[in-house]
Amino acid sequence: MRTAGLTLAVLAGTVEVCEASTGTRIGRVGSPSSLTGPPTRLHAAFIPKRLGAASSISFTVNIDPPALGEPPPLSAIDFSYPSGLGFATSGLGLASCDPARLEGEGAAACPANSMMGAGHAVVQVVFGPDIVQEQVSLALFAGPSADGYLHLLILASGGEPVEARIVMAGVLLPGHLQITVPPVPGLPGAPAVALTQIQATLGGALTYHERVRGRLISYRPKGIGLPASCPRGGWRLGATLAFMGGGQSHAQDVIACPARRRPARGA
Amino acid sequence: MSDIRRARRGETGPATIRKARVRLLASLIVMGAALLGVSAIANAAGPVARAAARVNAKDEAKLHFVHASGSTLIDEGHATGTFPGYVKITFTYNGSPNVGAQFTIYRSEGSIRVRASGTLSSPTNPSPSFKGNVTIIGGSGRYAHAHGGGQLYGVFYRRSYALVVQVQGTVYY
Repeated sequence: MRTAGLTLAVLAGTVEVCEASTGTRIGRVGSPSSLTGPPTRLHAAFIPKRLGAASSISFTVNIDPPALGEPPPLSAIDFSYPSGLGFATSGLGLASCDPARLEGEGAAACPANSMMGAGHAVVQVVFGPDIVQEQVSLALFAGPSADGYLHLLILASGGEPVEARIVMAGVLLPGHLQITVPPVPGLPGAPAVALTQIQATLGGALTYHERVRGRLISYRPKGIGLPASCPRGGWRLGATLAFMGGGQSHAQDVIACPARRRPARGA
Repeated sequence: MSDIRRARRGETGPATIRKARVRLLASLIVMGAALLGVSAIANAAGPVARAAARVNAKDEAKLHFVHASGSTLIDEGHATGTFPGYVKITFTYNGSPNVGAQFTIYRSEGSIRVRASGTLSSPTNPSPSFKGNVTIIGGSGRYAHAHGGGQLYGVFYRRSYALVVQVQGTVYY
């Protein structure tokens, strides 16, 4: 079975994409001048992976902290994906959540039909002489749209050692999901909180409600529609990360095409 | 009785048969020449001109979801109005507020093909509306040379993928 996962090896400032199972170099991404941020890895997957069917997309970005010191705080993420994927026709985000209420009251302030996904993140907090890791939960909602594009709100909630609730804004453009990350202040006198891992799933096990003939019924939204055919070489996805201070990192992954079903013998 | 009939009935000799065959061949040549002449005259006159019909049309279709491939949906249903018929539509919505569609109205006299583009508002609404323009790009049968254009109005039901589409415009065919 072919492994879809890719690893990124940083060699003299450039990022080389290697197949995880064999280490075979299959492509080169970016250039030394544009990649001055910390090494970054992206892993993406469709669950389930069936052509022409609805699916959820899961992605994980790992930012490797430097050997000395903490990674720089993130300011923006740009996920790129094939524009033929049915994000806009997913049936996700049938209501919008107010960003001010989301930040003030948390996820309970948002209508169930605005929920688009969930995930978690790992951040590093400078705590005295030590660097402490903090687990953060993520919830993705549809936000209000003034320009006709689908807007996302990502609620990040952390407990210890820094209790914080921040809202990141995103916009779904054809082939791109752009997320702006606000600075997250650390403890007094310490540098800002730095993100080292983010994992999120768009779609999945969500429960929506609709009123049919006066009755409120629950249902599961369809999810992201996959095209009826797979592009040659699989679906290529990328993540470009911008850091405060001007650094930038890029990573990419390829979701391999699903295996073709062989007709049963004698059929 | 003609010579050829007599020859078939064995009432004449070989000379009569040869004479009859020559006459038949000559008459076939004359008939063929006459037919060719008629068709040449017809070709010289060119196709018969027909005044193009100009129709102010207003049609509405309620379409149900049939199939999806990524950001493209295929819906079908019945249209009512000036050009009632069966409609198949390919609707593309890829996250940009600019949506695109191609649809065909099938009627007993032929089909009309239409290309449409529009702008969708309120993407987080369960049933966002869109409006834009349509261009008639041809057809088949009676509408083989159809052209024209107009306005497009529609509603996209994000839960069921159903569409309601209304077209107002002018059709020439």
